[in-house]
Amino acid sequence: MRRFDLILPSSVDDCLRVLAERGPEAKLVAGGTDLLPQLKNGLLKPACVVDLSGVAPLRRLERTDGRGLRIGPAVTARALERDPGVRSDYLALAESAALIGSVQVRNLATVGGNLCNAAPSADMVPPLLALDAEVVVAGPRGHRRVPLASFFVGVRRTVLAPDELLLDIVVPGPGPGSGGSYLRHTPRRELDIAVVGVAAQLTLSDGACAKARIALAAVAPTPLRATAAEQALEGQPVTAEQIERAAALAADAARPISDQRGSAEFRRHLVRVLTRRTLATALERARG
Amino acid sequence: MTMKTTREVKGVGLSIPRPDGPEKVTGETRYVADLTPHGLLHAKLLRSPYAHARIVRIDARRARALGGVRVVLTAADVPALKRKAPTRAHAVLAIDRVVFVGQPVAAVAADEPAIAEEALDLIEVEYDVLPAAVDPLQSMQAGAPPVADAGTEADTSEALAHSGVAAAKADAGPARAANVTQQVRLQRGDVAQGFAASDLVIEHTYRVPMVHQGYLEPHAVLAQWDRAGLLTIWTSTQGSFNTRSEVADVLGLPENRVRVIPMECGGGFGGKIRALCEPVTALLARAAGRPVRYVMTRREELEAGMPAPQVIIRLKTAVKRDGTLMALEADTILESGALSSAVLTMSGVFLGSLYRWPSFDIRGFEVLTHKPSIAAYRAPTAPQTTFAIDSQMEQIARRLNLDPVEFRLRHLVREGDPMANGQPWQGHGGREVLRRIAEHPLWTSRAEWSAGGGTNGRGLRGTGLALGGWIPGLQPTGATVRLNPDGSLGVLTGQVDIAGTNIALAQIAASAYGVDIEQVRITTGDTDSAPVTGLSAGSKTIYTVGAAVLEAARDARRQTLEIAAAEMEASIHDLEIEDGRVTVRGVPGRSITLAQIGKKGNLYMSKVPPVLGASHLAFSLQAPAFAAELARIEVDAETGEVTLHDFVVVQDAGRAINPLGVEGQMQGGAVQSLGMALTEGLTFDEDGRLTNPSLLDYRMLTAADLPRIETIIVEVPSPAGPFGARGVGEPPIIPAPAAVANAIQDATGVRITELPLTPERIAMALLASRASSSPSAAAPGEVSTR
Amino acid sequence: MPKHVLSCTVNDEPVEVLVRPYETLLDALREDLGLTGPKEGCGTGDCGACTVHLDGQPVASCLMLAAQARGRSVRTIEGLGRRDALHPLQDAFVRHGAAQCGFCVPGVLMAAAALLAENPRPTDEEIRYAIAGNLCRCTGYTKMVAAIAEAAGVGPVREGEP
Repeated sequence: MRRFDLILPSSVDDCLRVLAERGPEAKLVAGGTDLLPQLKNGLLKPACVVDLSGVAPLRRLERTDGRGLRIGPAVTARALERDPGVRSDYLALAESAALIGSVQVRNLATVGGNLCNAAPSADMVPPLLALDAEVVVAGPRGHRRVPLASFFVGVRRTVLAPDELLLDIVVPGPGPGSGGSYLRHTPRRELDIAVVGVAAQLTLSDGACAKARIALAAVAPTPLRATAAEQALEGQPVTAEQIERAAALAADAARPISDQRGSAEFRRHLVRVLTRRTLATALERARG
Repeated sequence: MTMKTTREVKGVGLSIPRPDGPEKVTGETRYVADLTPHGLLHAKLLRSPYAHARIVRIDARRARALGGVRVVLTAADVPALKRKAPTRAHAVLAIDRVVFVGQPVAAVAADEPAIAEEALDLIEVEYDVLPAAVDPLQSMQAGAPPVADAGTEADTSEALAHSGVAAAKADAGPARAANVTQQVRLQRGDVAQGFAASDLVIEHTYRVPMVHQGYLEPHAVLAQWDRAGLLTIWTSTQGSFNTRSEVADVLGLPENRVRVIPMECGGGFGGKIRALCEPVTALLARAAGRPVRYVMTRREELEAGMPAPQVIIRLKTAVKRDGTLMALEADTILESGALSSAVLTMSGVFLGSLYRWPSFDIRGFEVLTHKPSIAAYRAPTAPQTTFAIDSQMEQIARRLNLDPVEFRLRHLVREGDPMANGQPWQGHGGREVLRRIAEHPLWTSRAEWSAGGGTNGRGLRGTGLALGGWIPGLQPTGATVRLNPDGSLGVLTGQVDIAGTNIALAQIAASAYGVDIEQVRITTGDTDSAPVTGLSAGSKTIYTVGAAVLEAARDARRQTLEIAAAEMEASIHDLEIEDGRVTVRGVPGRSITLAQIGKKGNLYMSKVPPVLGASHLAFSLQAPAFAAELARIEVDAETGEVTLHDFVVVQDAGRAINPLGVEGQMQGGAVQSLGMALTEGLTFDEDGRLTNPSLLDYRMLTAADLPRIETIIVEVPSPAGPFGARGVGEPPIIPAPAAVANAIQDATGVRITELPLTPERIAMALLASRASSSPSAAAPGEVSTR
Repeated sequence: MPKHVLSCTVNDEPVEVLVRPYETLLDALREDLGLTGPKEGCGTGDCGACTVHLDGQPVASCLMLAAQARGRSVRTIEGLGRRDALHPLQDAFVRHGAAQCGFCVPGVLMAAAALLAENPRPTDEEIRYAIAGNLCRCTGYTKMVAAIAEAAGVGPVREGEP
């Protein structure tokens, strides 16, 4: 790593002040699991790094009224993996957190970092998309709410301005009769990164699908909702044929590239397979 | 060979934990990067971003001006560097041309690593980018961009370390086709006739990419000069004497002005048998007048280490329908990277003469490309070659409905059969390991395993095995054994203790001399103090250094008994050593302790000399060592993921000096082999740039990917190894790729001939086979059936 | 760039040390505090050789800035077990021959110790996943898993030297 200044704010306001002054030449660090490798590889050479680990409110994880969830951006993947409330009602999110890296990485990696680093393969994003999450952004012009589906604009690019801070992630309660699942394909069982990731969330009402959400990782410049597949499921009972059809539509929605982690053809095939499997699991969980 | 002791001493054959265990589990063991002498400077290297380019201009002024930077070196500052580097270590800094991405162009020593890194950013290099030869098959063609200057000598030193085998027919003449730097042809009989008379011909091209040895400790060097101009190097190495020779040659120093101190080596596996970073670190230290430490980053290791070669084998075999072998034809291409160094002939020998082919025609080519030059990796070329020949044998057996184990047993070479280079095969335990693995319940119950697979097409189950053999290296070496004044023994070798060999050497000394293991201490000397010793590599440590220790221990015992005979006025033939004393057989009460003999050798005015046993040996008799491995798997037919349920290694150790240590070698080698089989490969883009320069994308297997590795040791003693021992380090890395490929065919019906056997390869092969299947079609690769 | 004062607890002792802003926790432990047990195998969190405990949880110390450890409690391999007695995990590793070159071992032991502190009787699979973030190239993991199982009282005891 090259040299840089390090600033240790102890409050959100402190943080915003620093970003207002030095935003364009500064990088925020929470868990460091994405930032430090990039600093070491020379991909980023900021003059200044701002450490969020001293800003306690960013680490809060709360259940809100109506059984929704407020996740501070500095909440670790490990915390999400193990929190009983998250596991009981947001199992897909807990599953996605549990798959990241290794236990040594999950104890540091944060959900805010996963979002703001905005890699197409970010594991915690698809379940949050499938749960219709929103993010709260703080900046010099006050707070604003952004639907997660609009948060990503390109590979490693979000709507955050250099003087803005991700403040909160708000997840509405999925309601009764809802179940979700996240699966990804990796060549190894640990220490790996998704070749393809799929999250599915199904909400049933009167035996039919009231709401379907399918979100894909690593098959487009940004995480993607497979909206045609979702619409094909909604309003009808969920049968094996419906699931198969949705899986095919999700594969069509994917826009994968071929790189050394996988070819486009394989990725498309995996989207189909994993969509089918996550929908089947989501259905089981929605019923049970 | 057998030592006359009246009772068993605690030595050979016991599973004794390594004595350095306690310091390793407390973190007290010191590796090079743990050394921080006063005044230490940190080194970084600027490396070429291009695979092939001319260096037009280097300007380091801004780097030199940065506060905290002490030295910046380019080739212009080191005029004595050889223009044509015979080894990688000689290519210290690029002179006017770079030939691989990652080649060092400049070197910096600074007060802190961060400052050194910033200094690299300030060095301006202007390159004139040239076309690069990146694919070995294209690189072989006329008109391919040249890698080496025509006339560069092929470096056969690596091959020579695997002596008997490679001494044969490596044609190291000047390059003929642009980048083909070595060619070999091994022939026997009349292949045309063999093919004409056969019933089944199978032809495949097997490909194994470059792989990295994957040691957890990156290359690390600390260098310091004293005022008398003596250079001391602390380094992570498998061969301190080898390193000393190379460093001395590069720097133009006599060898006795260079002292190499081998620190604990955090893994080598062949990647640290040659010098790499020592010369440049030494140059920085001399220019700075201060100690300099250079530790490679993991990225540098993957991009610019010394990996194993890519191997491409086109293999065509012909047999009769009753399983008689008829003919074998093969083209083997070894991609050596930017410098010639491949162990070319070995591959041909395994292809042609592991099984008894009556006729064969094998051509081998070493090809240069604009990639980092290779070094050895645990049984170099054997896993890749065995992947080809064993896969082929398996397919022949399947196609002819022959038992796969019986088929191999029927055709496996026997003692006295000629190897492909004409030399006779020595006796080996290949049949014993194969029979033993065939008795294993995982093999005998394989039909039940397959039948239990998932019904929804997901869990396809299979079992596969493979046999691999290795012909370990030979290298002259020496050792000393001395009797201390308290009756204990001190053993000195120059052997870097990588594979836990020190405890085994101590056991050999204990058993050969006649004392319990607690009385023996092994010291690894540096190049100033130790006898010249060879590499800790090539599975030859116990075979060669063990033999040297055995000889030295016997010599020490002889001297001890001679002294005792004189002191007690007895005949040497009546004497024994037991319980720390020399006794006279049949005369209880008549004895002298070892401590008394040891003290006499150290007393003022004593006429008794100190006991110092010494040996210096060279070897010519090789002891082949075989291992068989079995994999029980389940394949997710949709995603291609392979779950490895069970894995067994059966290996002939000759005589297991320390079974605990042998098991560790078997398990570690097997997992490296499985990595090669399932997940590993260095991937380059068309510009010769590595696309997976991190451990995230260069995938080594984790504990969660693996089952318990079961080990079964078989003992078929070797004639010349100490107590019958054979080398054990290398055989276990050989069979897994073939075993897993065989298991995948058993489970799914598809045969994959390219490593690694990734989920993508398996899933796409299954999709393709479903799309095209028709029951009567010959399997891909089959040419004719009569 | 001014240095920061890092005040924290390391291996049960209070520590106050000047660290550079861009130093990782791994660097600070090794270079500033002389605790060279944790190793750098990759620097990017992909190998586990740098594993230490942060408030009892295993973390990749190469991914933390030193200053991020302020006010926290850090434990390295040097703080596992006592000067006069090996921790049961360390003792089991020795008897099982679970360490070869030893470079990965401090990290593996810290990961295993964190597992046993929370899950005293793990299954074989739980052990393997707990150390799945620690790459080892020498041993193939089998003896490590057996040693951890023995230390947890869920696997057979391997006798010491005869």
